[in-house]
Amino acid sequence: MIFIAILIGCILGALIGMNAPMISYTYSSYLAIAIIAALDSVFGGITSVIKKNFDLKIFVTGFFGNAILAILLTILGQKLNVDIYLAAIVVFVGRMFVNLAIIRRYYVDKWLEVFEKRKGKVKEQNQESIEEK
Amino acid sequence: MLNKKVISAVLGIMCFALTLGICVQIRTVKGTNTTVSNNYEENNLRAEVLRYKERYDNKYKELEKAEKELEKERQNSTKDNSALEEKEAEITVGNKMIGLTDVTGAGVIVTLSDSKKDSSSVLNPSTLLVHDVDILSVVNELKNAGAEAISINDQRIVPTTGISCGGNIIDINGEKVGAPFVIKEIGLPEQLAGLSRQGGYLELLRGYSVEAELKKSNNITIPKYTGVITYKYAQESN
Repeated sequence: MIFIAILIGCILGALIGMNAPMISYTYSSYLAIAIIAALDSVFGGITSVIKKNFDLKIFVTGFFGNAILAILLTILGQKLNVDIYLAAIVVFVGRMFVNLAIIRRYYVDKWLEVFEKRKGKVKEQNQESIEEK
Repeated sequence: MLNKKVISAVLGIMCFALTLGICVQIRTVKGTNTTVSNNYEENNLRAEVLRYKERYDNKYKELEKAEKELEKERQNSTKDNSALEEKEAEITVGNKMIGLTDVTGAGVIVTLSDSKKDSSSVLNPSTLLVHDVDILSVVNELKNAGAEAISINDQRIVPTTGISCGGNIIDINGEKVGAPFVIKEIGLPEQLAGLSRQGGYLELLRGYSVEAELKKSNNITIPKYTGVITYKYAQESN
């Protein structure tokens, strides 16, 4: 059910995004930083699922809150003539890498386990067949 | 169960928002046609230029709207007066002539692009490029052949148009225009197609292996001049 909802959301978003009017170039940098923030939240969410401390409330508020905060900081940076968005990109992308590493480790471990189990089974079968002989 | 429904709904909405944002962003970046440079300073400058261009476009749209309103007002006020109506028609014809309205009709499309030959294979690499002089000659010949409206890469040729060399681009109407040059003109297609005759200018260009193509078309739209024509010094003589 959750996967279906995610799939429907993605397809709907892509379809509407293809047909939606283009935003002006002035605002595209804000949207870019918001997308990075949102992506960071998504990877963070996946990591927390793996670590089994996933909380929907925190996930949702992080998703929208981070995006909005990043946009506001970018605007503030432009007003102050400091490129705050660079800091935001560094933080978000850095966290994305950390989270991706955690996700990778988890799945690599999992697959290795499965692989070794299969190996063990084959060995047992071999031994059984030898004993039968 | 309810909790699961809520979770899936929330996740669906979030995925929707994320993909929507990504798609819009990709389309915007594609639309502005920017080649991302590694130079930070250059990127900033380009962003600034784009921002100014956008502002200009917005202002121009406002101007267009105001002009349309003016037209409407003029039509309203000249409704019941035949003398004024005549003047109104005169203005419309005049605008068409000096290139302040979009026009459509039959004509030809000439495409000039730089040669694909290797520049080290010829004595003078300059001959492989399309120059301002080439554009000028083509436009001149077309005018002689009776072209009524001409545009080069959507820059309308008006009485105040200048065509000059600007380095690796060509200045037309003060705007930068780059190769390939698509020159559209409206007129009698058979007559305009004489440009590609034996010994004509296009053949001369092809001799230098510049790519010159001429295509007849029954439906060409030429956009109007986007600048403002001002006459400060010329006064009507009585």
